Amino acid sequence: MSTVTTEPGAVAPAHAPVSPPPRRGNPWAPTWHGVGLMARIELRRRRPTVKGYVFYGLTFAVTIGICILAAVMDTSELTSVPLELALILVMGVGALIAPSLSATSVNGDSTEGVLAPLQMSHLTAGDIAVGKLLASWCVAVIALLALSPFLVYAFLKSGWHLDELLVTIAAVLLVVLALTAVGLAWSSLAARAVASVALAHLTTGVLLIGTLVLYGVASIAVTDTVTYTDRYIDWEQLSEEEAQALDAAYVSGDYSSLDPADYTCTEHEYTSGVAHTERVAWILLLNPAVMVAETAPVVDPETYIRDGRAAPGLFSGIHTAVSGARVGPFEDDLGNVTQWDECAEIFGTGDGAGAGEEADAQTAEELEAEWALEEQDWQEYERAVATTAPAPWPGVAVCVVLLFGSMALVIQRLRVPYKKLRKGTRVA
Amino acid sequence: MTSPALAPAPVREAIVATGVARRFGSVHAVTDATLTVPAGSVTALIGPNGCGKTTLMLMLSGLLRPDSGTITVAGCDPRTDAAAVRASIGWMPDQLGSWDNLTCLQTLTLMGEAYRIPRATARTRGMELLARVHLTEFAERPARVLSRGQKQRLSLARALVHDPAVLLLDEPANGLDPRSRIELRELVREFAAEGRAVLVSSHVLAELDEMVDDAIFMSQGRTLGDDAAAMVADAKTRYRIGATNPAQLQALLTQYQVAFEPEAGGAIVRVESQDHAAQSLSWIVEHGVAIHQFGPVGSALEQTYMAMNEERR
Repeated sequence: MSTVTTEPGAVAPAHAPVSPPPRRGNPWAPTWHGVGLMARIELRRRRPTVKGYVFYGLTFAVTIGICILAAVMDTSELTSVPLELALILVMGVGALIAPSLSATSVNGDSTEGVLAPLQMSHLTAGDIAVGKLLASWCVAVIALLALSPFLVYAFLKSGWHLDELLVTIAAVLLVVLALTAVGLAWSSLAARAVASVALAHLTTGVLLIGTLVLYGVASIAVTDTVTYTDRYIDWEQLSEEEAQALDAAYVSGDYSSLDPADYTCTEHEYTSGVAHTERVAWILLLNPAVMVAETAPVVDPETYIRDGRAAPGLFSGIHTAVSGARVGPFEDDLGNVTQWDECAEIFGTGDGAGAGEEADAQTAEELEAEWALEEQDWQEYERAVATTAPAPWPGVAVCVVLLFGSMALVIQRLRVPYKKLRKGTRVA
Repeated sequence: MTSPALAPAPVREAIVATGVARRFGSVHAVTDATLTVPAGSVTALIGPNGCGKTTLMLMLSGLLRPDSGTITVAGCDPRTDAAAVRASIGWMPDQLGSWDNLTCLQTLTLMGEAYRIPRATARTRGMELLARVHLTEFAERPARVLSRGQKQRLSLARALVHDPAVLLLDEPANGLDPRSRIELRELVREFAAEGRAVLVSSHVLAELDEMVDDAIFMSQGRTLGDDAAAMVADAKTRYRIGATNPAQLQALLTQYQVAFEPEAGGAIVRVESQDHAAQSLSWIVEHGVAIHQFGPVGSALEQTYMAMNEERR
């Protein structure tokens, strides 16, 4: 294989005939050969120095440390938290480092003067763009491989199925790929590497945090004002004896000695806001982190033990929070009903007619039944929220659009002959 | 299918550009450039800094689209067959770029592969080229240890990996030591002898004199066609005569009505040929003038360049 010719004298006369294939037109589409070669060039160029290895080693050690800590902290039989933490770390490392690399790789190469010679060669704009994308993206893949022993351990304890794990890993890698492509796009737009790195991270920030902020602002816009009514006994109209009798009745819980006619009921109205989050919850679904969580298996908070699952973990928590927003407010919070009615509680019906021991006893039973019903409603609501079908597709769509949009832009910008140049740059 | 690249397509005029113009925003980098570079010859592109040389080279190499004008390189039009144009060109940019982490041989091998040359062939070719630019001992060393001149030579080798029919060398002599410059001169002549068309830009005009077959002068975005050629031709006829007694020499020339430019040490005259020069010298000596110097004034390109710059002022 490696024929290292060391004698300089021996090579001078014999010309190795080279015959590059002819070319027509001005192709731009990526090819297997070109993409592979470009990725190889990039990976070799970015091979870390000793300092780099130390840095990556430390990062890796910290990552493993966090994972082991997570594993040690939770000793119950099944837990998905370590696995989820590991996946979040892969995504975090990928989303931080991969776009940083890609965001310097077009304008950085241009500044260094190594881009134009490649554009002169048989590599197409697509080869260069996709090769650079994959080379930067490899960081996330390497992070994943580095964590793989821990992932296997965490997976075995997680109660996830293998296909579910693969889907979520694919989602993590897709997110990193899309963010890397965005970095590359910024790199092809901005003249200076500093600007494109900042813009790449800003884009990541907008997607991860900006969507949450936007959701918060938007939910104010969809907040309706609802009116609640409370009814209670008007203390100001009571004589001293009546007040004392009422106090005694509060303590004893026996209201039968009170004469409803003596006590006037008063109504108090107040307003409060209820956010119809179901109208803006789609903003949350655009968030890539939410998208990843949405690809995780849904854990039913009531039946998870029977289902062979771990207790709801991080991703389930995110899923529940997002689903809560998607389902919207609990019905009873929607207002326009009397929230609290003291008179009805004490005297049976609101107007005090037909008061007596019977009415009192019925009221107590009714009350309990009503509470039980309300409690059941609430639980059903909570369960419905937790088991809402996950909706990763909006987030996937965002990633796919970003990925293909960015790559189209990069290819467009890398095609030569240039029509326009970035301001303040040279071609070479 | 394809003929070996060592025998370039039978195109006599490897580069033909007519009325090429390009501006960046409101800056007219090149306003009107017309030039022809025949295969198997070396042509110099000469002009002051910022006159549009590099921009013109970029347009010829198929990296930059001209606003107007036509270009044909190796028989292909970059507007329709940009890839074919780029593939036929070996381009050595004025900006020194190298992959610092890669060794010289890796650089050339990967570059060869980028031209779809099989890896083993590209590697052999890389070793050959390193030997040709005298970098063999750096084959396995990373490019970052190279000095400026060595990087320049690596860049030249890189331009040759695919055995191009056309070479565009932008300031190839920059940063080279005297020996390397002489070697570069010989290399460039070899390239032309191999049938390649070479267009070379440089500021070191004295060196170009011995390297080039033709010169194209550029000023403020324009190529100066026949005027400049006439000036070069005129400059080549100028001979400097150094006399121990300049007054005696000038008196003799005045007496016989020979046109001359007086100088402190003698005079400058125009001769038509080498024979004419020999005759002139013996004639002066016969008239008893002691001559200690007789020869061409110096770089014809330099004289033209300086004259051109004077015109501009």
